[in-house]
Amino acid sequence: MKFVEKIEEHAERKQRALSMGGEEKLAKRREKGMLNARERVHYLLDPGSFVESGLFSTSMQPKDRDRTPADGKIVGFGRIESRRVGIVSNDFTVKGASSSPVNSNKMEHVKKVGARSGFPVVFLGESTGARMPDIMGAKGIIGVNNDPQQYMRLRTNPWAAAVLGLSFGSATWYSAMADFTVMKKGACMAVSSPRLVALATRQEVDFEELGGWRLHSEVTGLVDMVVDTDEQALDAIRNYLGYLPSHANEAPPRHEVPKGSDEACEGILDLIPEAKGQVYDVRKVIDRIVDQGSTFELKPRFGKTLVTALARIDGRSVGIIANNPFFKGGAIDADACDKAISLLVQCDSYNIPVVFLVDQPGFLIGIEAERRRMPGKVMNWLNALAQCTVPKFSVIMRKSYGLAVRNMGGSNNANEVAAWWSAEVSFMDPRSGVAVVHGISPEDDPEAHAAHLEEMSRDTSAYDLASINGARAVIDPRETRQYLKNMLDVYEDSYSGGVGQHHLRNWPTGF
Amino acid sequence: MAIIEIKAEITGNVWTIQVRPGDQIDEDTPILILESMKMEIPIVATDGGKVVDILVSEGDTVQEGATIARLEV
Repeated sequence: MKFVEKIEEHAERKQRALSMGGEEKLAKRREKGMLNARERVHYLLDPGSFVESGLFSTSMQPKDRDRTPADGKIVGFGRIESRRVGIVSNDFTVKGASSSPVNSNKMEHVKKVGARSGFPVVFLGESTGARMPDIMGAKGIIGVNNDPQQYMRLRTNPWAAAVLGLSFGSATWYSAMADFTVMKKGACMAVSSPRLVALATRQEVDFEELGGWRLHSEVTGLVDMVVDTDEQALDAIRNYLGYLPSHANEAPPRHEVPKGSDEACEGILDLIPEAKGQVYDVRKVIDRIVDQGSTFELKPRFGKTLVTALARIDGRSVGIIANNPFFKGGAIDADACDKAISLLVQCDSYNIPVVFLVDQPGFLIGIEAERRRMPGKVMNWLNALAQCTVPKFSVIMRKSYGLAVRNMGGSNNANEVAAWWSAEVSFMDPRSGVAVVHGISPEDDPEAHAAHLEEMSRDTSAYDLASINGARAVIDPRETRQYLKNMLDVYEDSYSGGVGQHHLRNWPTGF
Repeated sequence: MAIIEIKAEITGNVWTIQVRPGDQIDEDTPILILESMKMEIPIVATDGGKVVDILVSEGDTVQEGATIARLEV
């Protein structure tokens, strides 16, 4: 046989490159029930579809060349549900997947190919941050080939990220920039490690406090979903990408409609209390309207007065923005504003129509709201809504008061508005209106109060709204799904193939 | 096992208390109902767990952020 030596050397080098940080480190991970970086790639991608890029790369430092297989970041291309993706999987067993000039170049390469060819890029995060001491000094921190657009995000193609272990530096940056980020319980996402924090500031802090799942799912909102295992995180990414197009210049894929989806909406009345003062959990209402089993809720533990989700109606992807009276009566707070904007950005960037489900008493007011910069957030939301060019449909279920009427698509801020017959629209609750204008309560003067209340309640019904085309349909709640199916069909843009103008594609990526 | 505090997310009057110390409850189970903004607003368990104690009584006014119950999760 010819080239025997070359062939043998190639096989031997390949074997070494695939061995990651060695059997001992890999065994420790197995004991903890953690997948290694290559197992994660193979679990996520369609079988046999992985095409690796940079397998033979190593550290540039001569002393590290033989112990940095693939230089700690495994990258390449593959398919998920037959659709192309790029992938970066941090190999924590090789120098903690720390960032180096060589492996950063690999990541940049995959990002560029994904943007060039039009497919999503997935980042599986677990990294210690910049590689020490390599990054020290001018040559380390400045380098000669740094890309000034490394952290530019124009949302030309979707990015999804998973935080699967200790993540500082690189893994954190990409998780913060991604369109969707899932976090495994027990993982940590922070700018730098507790050890560095303690050295720099003497603040003693543990992983959970500094960057655990509770912090990011409840306080920062930087994480969209929390799961228990590696496999669940990878399944979540697979599901998420199923709602999105491969790139911004096409419509999302259409899926088959599960049986029983139309029938489920029939039971919607069981969920809504007749008494105005009683509340319900809007997540159950969403489940009755969308294709069965298609609700993919985002940031469920953050800004809970408003629900955001991806879902499908009639097999088409939609983004849902719904007030949830179950929490704070549905009053919209600062976190809820950020959450709504984040969904609008995603939908506008990737051609996903937006559905508003409205039942809200207004913005939450008070000291805390002002400290949290409510005026800025309310205006950001309206600015985003005005720039959002995908079809927007708003269904007013019960009350909708104040300026927030507009944020939720009313007053021509959605392409179509429908009202359930239970809808009530005004500047504020009529009872509050009486108190503001006349300064009396029912106890002060029952007769006068009743007369003023009647006056304040005038012109607030679904039919009053419909009489001036503020709602172009008044519907029975059980007709909601059919109404939205009709509108999605009517608004399918035959000129563009369902591709919007993406004014929000360069909206800031973090919160 | 850890003890977590359930806090009122909004200022209001305690209308009814719906669970008792010792009860095993799921995430999102209403612990009590507050009357606020002319609505009956539930304060729910943020995780599933066992009710350790309830720190307010019916008729009390609670402030936003006040701890109303503790759960063992």
